[in-house]
Amino acid sequence: MITANERAAMTESVGAAIADAVARSANVDATLAELGWRELLADDPDAAVEIVFTALGSANATASALDDVLAATLGFELGADLAILLPNFASWAPPGRIDGSHSHAHGIATCRAATAAEILVACDNESALNTSMVSVAAAEVTVVRGVDPDAGLHFVRCPIETKGGRPLDPAAWQSALALGRRAVAYQIAGACRTVLNLARTHALDRMQFGRPIARFQAVRHKLAEVLVAVESLDAALAAAGDTPSPETAALAKAIAGRTAYTTAKHCQQVLAGIGFTTEHQFHRYLKRILAFEGLFGSADAITHDIGHRLLAERRVPTLIEL
Amino acid sequence: MSAELAAYRGELRAWLEAHREELAPRYALPGTLDDHVAQMQRVKAILFDAGWMQRGWPERVGGSGGPPMLRTELGANLAARDFVDSGLFSLIEVLAPTLIDFARPELAAEAVPKLLSGAELWCQGFSEPDSGSDLASLRCRAVPEGGNAATAARWIINGQKVWTSLAQFSQRCVLLTRTGPADSRHRGITAFFVDMDTPGITVRPIEMINGELEFAEVFFEDVAVPAERMLGELNGGWAVAMSILPYERSSCFWQRIAYLYRRLERLVEIAPQDDRAAEVVGNAYVQLHALRARSRATQHRLAATGAIGAETSIDKVLVAAGEQAVFDAVHRLLPGMVEIEDSAAGETWRGEYLYSRAATIYGGTAEVQRNIIARRLLDLGSDE
Ligand SMILES: Cc1cc2nc3c(=O)[nH]c(=O)nc-3n(C[C@H](O)[C@H](O)[C@H](O)COP(=O)(O)OP(=O)(O)OC[C@H]3O[C@@H](n4cnc5c(N)ncnc54)[C@H](O)[C@@H]3O)c2cc1C
Repeated sequence: MITANERAAMTESVGAAIADAVARSANVDATLAELGWRELLADDPDAAVEIVFTALGSANATASALDDVLAATLGFELGADLAILLPNFASWAPPGRIDGSHSHAHGIATCRAATAAEILVACDNESALNTSMVSVAAAEVTVVRGVDPDAGLHFVRCPIETKGGRPLDPAAWQSALALGRRAVAYQIAGACRTVLNLARTHALDRMQFGRPIARFQAVRHKLAEVLVAVESLDAALAAAGDTPSPETAALAKAIAGRTAYTTAKHCQQVLAGIGFTTEHQFHRYLKRILAFEGLFGSADAITHDIGHRLLAERRVPTLIEL
Repeated sequence: MSAELAAYRGELRAWLEAHREELAPRYALPGTLDDHVAQMQRVKAILFDAGWMQRGWPERVGGSGGPPMLRTELGANLAARDFVDSGLFSLIEVLAPTLIDFARPELAAEAVPKLLSGAELWCQGFSEPDSGSDLASLRCRAVPEGGNAATAARWIINGQKVWTSLAQFSQRCVLLTRTGPADSRHRGITAFFVDMDTPGITVRPIEMINGELEFAEVFFEDVAVPAERMLGELNGGWAVAMSILPYERSSCFWQRIAYLYRRLERLVEIAPQDDRAAEVVGNAYVQLHALRARSRATQHRLAATGAIGAETSIDKVLVAAGEQAVFDAVHRLLPGMVEIEDSAAGETWRGEYLYSRAATIYGGTAEVQRNIIARRLLDLGSDE
């Protein structure tokens, strides 16, 4: 565990290093390795995920740190050669499926799929979970262009060896999913904070009707709405760290998605014409948000799932206490 | 802090469960406002006798000390069990801390235990017919008897307050008056702690949108108030008014949140189990969780630093939206319940649905909160 002071110092240094790597178009994964990301993840996963993913989101950096987060929680040795198959877009089910003769996986992978030797696949074989190692050479890996070609995402399809898998404790899968969700939520939080700052700066600088548009109450209230959302996401993430559980992580992820769309919508409106161009940075953040919000389940899907659970149990748990 | 609170919470919950029968409302739902007020005072008396009401309050006002979050836990656990109306009960947090910080020590020591034990109710006389959001424009006047503010034994008050919650039930009122020139705004306001049975005070209850007479107009005609009832400094009333925020925005909200979780739970107990309901309920729950997480952080910041400020406008926006989301969900998922159902259940849901519409109005409107967020938190400069 790192101390509060170390955490603050690292937040700064990691943020600066990642922003610098992005500015230089350098490889962010290499920068993370130099910063000791994997060691930090092993030592203090909560701090590591918060610091690194917030910084990745703020700088709109493309990296494969999510693979390490999942590998670490699933109990695998961390390394740049091991990629992880994430659940398919908008889903959180294990990407592999073993049912008798049909044994295959399809899901999403980060930019590591382009360089790794092996892909770790979590599989559901109906009665239990296990993990399989698939050689990248044996998999069909295609680059996702989509809304954000720079996001580094890949589609992966591959056959699964029915034997030789390693049993996967469902609780370990839940923990991996939870930390993965928190990681993506931190990334979205970092992006939202940056987008709010971009819109705020624009509101103060942009003159119309002889005054900065920041004087108009309609503009002020939109930005206020964004700050409310961004702050509530920070609080939900802190709660998921203080009271870790699949539920608090799922809720943080859902709140991240809501915050992302509130932020994107209002900030785009404040940025107006310039925000609609590729001359302003906004478009990169909007596209990255769209590309990542669906990972491990969108806000909508998670909300729906939670709603069904509340109705089935006829209970509304408070989850966090003072 | 959290470990101490968890232990306290366990002890408290066990005690409340053991005394459930004694604490539960005696009236049939929905009950009248008189029922709710009587129930709250009865519960306060029981809890006071058992020593729970004193927890978290300073010893100099008859409390038994400890962190203020102990009181928050108490209020939240009462609300979660429907033993008291959370809105009425949490008014303690709006009024008692002000007395403790600004009244003469003897006055606070005498008055606060009466509020805690259920012997008294107090009200907050801030708003006036022409001063709602723009509180600093208030006009209800206080002048020193004989003309000398430094030596006057009494102050004479003339004017009117409006929408004063529980005024007709209250023994005392925390009142804001104009003591400076008419245009002195927040620099010329003074607070007083006024006995509601003082001659010259007339209370006219006003029927609210839900049919209750929960607030009132209060008229002051040559009302004489002893000088030692001044709260804080002469012309220092704005600080008194602002001192309400820390506990209103932390403890009161946490109690309100407990009530909202309970209401959402009541909804899922009877809602249809389909996709649409899952979405509506899920959305309200996600919103409540964001609010609860935020409020939790706020309380811990208050406990750690002793102060919270403009950033609680965010909590206020979230709590108002959360309350309306819960009751919008009720309205949407129980067709006719709010609109045409005349059973006790219908009356109860209808009353609370209608009340929830005020969440974006009282305690500073949703728009005023956004103005504060824009100016103070986002530092967007003046809007003029
Ligand atoms: C249930 C309930 C209980 C209450 N209890 C009490 C009590 O116990 N004691 C007490 O003193 N008061 C009480 N109030 C009064 C409450 O504090 C006021 O209603 C509130 O401050 C708003 O004032 P107003 O109603 O005059 O609205 P106004 O201030 O007239 O506002 C009308 C509309 O204009 C908007 N508006 C006003 N100014 C601005 C601005 N600068 N920018 C943008 N929009 C603006 C508002 O947001 C609102 O939508 C209570 C009110 C309710 C509903």
